Amino acid sequence: MDRFQYLLVLGASALVTLPLEFAFDARVWRRPRRLARAVLPSFVVFVVWDIWATTHGTWDFSEQYTIGVELPGGLAIEELLFFLLIPVCTLLTLESARNILSGRVRWLRRDD
Amino acid sequence: MPPVYPTLAVVAAVAVLGLERWYFRSGIFRSRAYWLSMIIVFAFMVPVDGWLTKLSAPIVIYDDDHTSSHRVVWDILTEEFVYAFALLTLVVLCWDRAAQR
Repeated sequence: MDRFQYLLVLGASALVTLPLEFAFDARVWRRPRRLARAVLPSFVVFVVWDIWATTHGTWDFSEQYTIGVELPGGLAIEELLFFLLIPVCTLLTLESARNILSGRVRWLRRDD
Repeated sequence: MPPVYPTLAVVAAVAVLGLERWYFRSGIFRSRAYWLSMIIVFAFMVPVDGWLTKLSAPIVIYDDDHTSSHRVVWDILTEEFVYAFALLTLVVLCWDRAAQR
């Protein structure tokens, strides 16, 4: 089970934030094209940085806690999921905050 | 030479500030919802990034010749928060830009 640790951390992050999509009507997962356009630029920049940093030895990934699929330069494949899922968690939080602060969450309103 | 990771993290954060100032011009830094969500995300970053980088059983292992070696909370390197600010603010800027088209 140890080698699934990184995947489990990412899965837990996605799972914990999933209710925001519905409870506060965040509409992040349900706007896949907009989501792709939001995530793609940072995905490209940060994966390139990640490959560079792994190649140059700034950081490395535990063989014990990753599934062992490596990309060029020794990058753990989990990193690709990180740069997709953590942005989604953030956008779910942002859109929830927007809906709450602007009074768009019906069940939080006292009137009507 | 200053260590490479904190240097690049600051460069990335400044680059994102520059992108907002001269390219996106979204006014995101005047948004209450943005700051509220950043506070929440950074709070959750402590258990998540802490689990990934804790020195007792790290999933991501750093060469301290390349880092500040300054670990603020639960072994998380200070520059990780600067890195996260750059990454996540860029995502937010692109998300809002994508809505306009």
